[in-house]
Amino acid sequence: MKRVFKLPSLSSMPPWFGLLVLEVVLIIGMSIIQPAFISSSNLSNIIRSAAIPIVLGIGMTFTILTAGIDLSVGSALAFTGILLSGFITHMPRFAAVLLTVIIVTAVVGGINGILIGKIGLNSFVITLGTLGIFRGISYLVTNGTTRTIDTGTLINTLGDGNWGPIPGPAVVVIVVALLSVWALRSTYFGRDVYAVGGNEFAARLAGVFTSRVKLTVYFISAALAALAGIMQVGRLQSAAPTAGAGIELTVVAGVLLGGTRLSGGVGSITGTVIGLLFLQTVSNSLTIQGVSSYWQQVVTGVLLGAAVLFDRIQVSYASRRKYREESNVTKE
Amino acid sequence: MTVSVSMTNISKNFDAVRALQDVHIDLFPGEVHTVAGENGSGKSTLLKILAGVIKQDEGQILMDGTQVNFQGVRDSMAYGITMVSQELSLVPHLSVAENVFLGHNQTRNKLGIDWKDTDKRAVEFLKRLNLEVNPRAEVSTLPQHHQQMVEIARAIASNTKVLLLDEPTSSLAPKEVESLFAVVRQLRDEGVAVVMISHRMSEMLDISDRFTVLRDSKFIDTSTRAGVDENWLIDRMVLNKPKKAIHSTEELLKTEVVLEVKGMTDLFGAFQDVSFSLHKGEIVGLAGLAGAGRTELVEAIVGLHPRKAGDVIVEGVIVSHSTRATMNAGVVLVPDDRRAKSTIRDMSIRDNLLLSIHGRPQKQRSRRKEEKIVDEWVSKFKIKMSNPYAPISSLSGGNQQKVVIARCLETNPKVLILDEATRGIDLGAKAEIYQILRDLASKGLAILVVSSELSEIFEISDRVLVMHAGDLTANLARKDISESDVVSAATGVRT
Repeated sequence: MKRVFKLPSLSSMPPWFGLLVLEVVLIIGMSIIQPAFISSSNLSNIIRSAAIPIVLGIGMTFTILTAGIDLSVGSALAFTGILLSGFITHMPRFAAVLLTVIIVTAVVGGINGILIGKIGLNSFVITLGTLGIFRGISYLVTNGTTRTIDTGTLINTLGDGNWGPIPGPAVVVIVVALLSVWALRSTYFGRDVYAVGGNEFAARLAGVFTSRVKLTVYFISAALAALAGIMQVGRLQSAAPTAGAGIELTVVAGVLLGGTRLSGGVGSITGTVIGLLFLQTVSNSLTIQGVSSYWQQVVTGVLLGAAVLFDRIQVSYASRRKYREESNVTKE
Repeated sequence: MTVSVSMTNISKNFDAVRALQDVHIDLFPGEVHTVAGENGSGKSTLLKILAGVIKQDEGQILMDGTQVNFQGVRDSMAYGITMVSQELSLVPHLSVAENVFLGHNQTRNKLGIDWKDTDKRAVEFLKRLNLEVNPRAEVSTLPQHHQQMVEIARAIASNTKVLLLDEPTSSLAPKEVESLFAVVRQLRDEGVAVVMISHRMSEMLDISDRFTVLRDSKFIDTSTRAGVDENWLIDRMVLNKPKKAIHSTEELLKTEVVLEVKGMTDLFGAFQDVSFSLHKGEIVGLAGLAGAGRTELVEAIVGLHPRKAGDVIVEGVIVSHSTRATMNAGVVLVPDDRRAKSTIRDMSIRDNLLLSIHGRPQKQRSRRKEEKIVDEWVSKFKIKMSNPYAPISSLSGGNQQKVVIARCLETNPKVLILDEATRGIDLGAKAEIYQILRDLASKGLAILVVSSELSEIFEISDRVLVMHAGDLTANLARKDISESDVVSAATGVRT
C-alpha cells in the first residue's frame, strides 16, 4: 500500500515541541485571565526565578545524556555560597568568585566524576552521597545560620540585576545555553556524550574514551552548580546552608519534561530550557491565581507523569510504524 | 600498507567457564579467513581479544612480527584493527553519518564539527558499499542489513587493515549477503585482512581463502581453501553426527494434540497470525533468523509479551493471557537470556530452582521436602556444583541452564518451550541437555525448541517450523527437511 500524502507526523517533531506549544498557550491563556501576569515585572520575575534551575538543568542534561544523574547540584549550590562568604572578606570579589567556582568544581566534580566515571560506580548512589556530604558541611561550617554578604555589582548582576535592559540572570542562561548547545552539537566531546548514553559498548568499540566522557560531565555539572550558587548569592545577598534544598528534583523533572531520556542518549539543551521555563511559568501562574504552593508540587508531579506517558505512547507508535515499513520492504 | 597478524597460545577464562584454550591463528593481508565452529566454541572471544575488547589470560599477539599488548580498543584501533560485532554496535538515536564517523573521524573546522562535510563524506563511504541513504536519518530507522553496512562503513572510514566480522550474515537475506560479500571481496583485494565468523556452510566456502576450526574452546585445524569442503568442516566442527529422530512423524501426528496456538498476532507487530500445534511426546524445532519474531511469539504464548489477537489452547481449553494461568495450564518457558530473564544471579542454586513452587500452599513446602526436590534434580540432571547454597552465577552456563529447566519441570508441565536453550554452553553440556529433552519427550512431554543454530534444529527435532519476518513460513516433517529448505524459508525466499 502506498501512501499518497503524508501529514507531518508528531514523531518527526523535536520532543520539546509539544511543550513549547503548551507554554505559549499557557502564557496567552494567563494574560487573558489575569492581565497582571503579562506585566514586565512579572515576566522578568519568571525569568529570574527560572534562571538558577535552568543553569543547573543544563548541567543535569549532560549527566542524564550519559545515562547518569547528578543529585548533588543543590548541595553544591549551597556549599558554593558558604565558601564564597568565607573568601569574600579576604580578597577582591572577583578573585573570591573565581576561587570558589574552581574549588567547588574540583572537589564536587572530582569526587563524583572519579567515582562514577573512572571507577564505574552507580551515579545515583554516589551523588546521593555527595548531596549529603556537602549539605552537611554547609551546616557544620555555618552552624545552621544564614550569612549576609556584601555582593557588589558583579555578583548582584549575575543573580538579580540588569545588564542594560536585560535581566542579568537571563544573560547568564543565554550564554551557558549557547555554549552547551555548541559543545553538544559541534565538538567530539559532545557527540561522545550522546554515544556513551546511547550505546556505551558501541562507543567503546569505536574508540571513545567512555570513562573520560563520564568524568567530564560531572565536572561540567559541578561547575554549573557553582555558577548557580554565585547567582543565588547575588539574588539573596546572603548564603544559607539551606539554599537549593530539594531543587535537584525540580531540575530533574524539568530535564525529563524537556524530552531528555533517563536511559541516556536522547535529549537536548533546548528541551531542558523549555521544560524548566514551563515549570516556572506554571508555578508562577498558580501563585498569581492564589493557588496554594502545595498544589504546585502536585501539578509538577502530574505534568511529569503525563510527559513520560506521552513520550512512551509516541515511541511505541513510532516503533510499530517502523516495523510495518520494514516488513513491507523485506516482503517486496 | 598492510599487516599480518599472528595470535599464538591464546587462553581465556570467564570465571569458571573456559572460553579459549591454547588457540592460535594467523591472518594475512588480502585474505578472507573464516573461523568456523559451533556456538560456544570460542570464536567470538577470539575476535574480541584481537579487537582489544577483552584481554587474554595467556598468549601473544604479533603484528608483522612484533609483539603488541592491547590494553583497550584504542590500542588495537591504532594498529588498524576494527570489529563489526555480532550485536549491532551502533548508537541508535544518532544519525547515519555520525555512526559512520563515531570515534572522532568527523570533519572539523574552526567552529567545531563541520556537519555538511561530515555528511558528504559519509555518503561517499556508503556509496562505496552501494548504499544510498540519507546521512541525517536516525540510524535506528534503517533496516538491519543497512545498519550493518553503516558499521562496515565505519571500519573503512577508520582506514581498517584488519577487519573482524562476527556473524555478519546471520540476519541477512541471500541478496543482502551477496552485496555484503562483494564489499568484503573488494576490501580483500585492497589488501585488508578479513576475519569472518559464519554458521552457513555455503557462505563460508563461497568467500573464504583460509579456514580455522575451533571446537569446545580448542584449536582443531587450519587449512587454505584448496583442501576444504563441507565434509572437512563438519568432521572438525561437530563431535557427534546428528542422530535419527526417535519417532517417525506419522506416528507422532496420531497422538493427541496438547498445545494449540491459533492466530497469534503481536501487539507491536513482531509476528502475525501464527498458528500451529504440538502433539504429545513431540520435539518441534522453531527455526528462523534473529528478529524473525520467535522470541516474541513464545513469550506471548506464555503471557509475557502483549498480543493483539490469538488463542492458546491447552488440551482443548483456552488459557487466559497471563503467565500464572499459562503455567497452571501446564505450559512453561525457558527464556533465551539466562542473565536477564531466567536466573537471579545472586540468589542460591537452591532458591533459583525452587522459584517456581513458591506459589504452593505452605504445608507442601517444608524445608525437608524442598531439600529433597533439589537433591533429586541435582542427581537426575548431574548438575555439577559445590553446594546448593552457592550463588547460581558460580555455575557454568550448562549447569545454570539445567537448574532453569529443572525449575520449569518442577511445575509438572505438559508443554516445555526452550528459547535458545544451549546458547553459550559447551558441547558436553549441550549433549546432556539434548539427552534430557529426548528422555522427557519419550515420557510424553511436548517440547518446542527455538534455535538459531541449524545443527541444533536438525539434531533434535521431529518436526521443524520456520519463521520469517513474523510469519510462519514452513512446517516441515523430519524426513522432508534439508538445510536449504530451512534457510530459504527463514530468509523469505519463495520456492
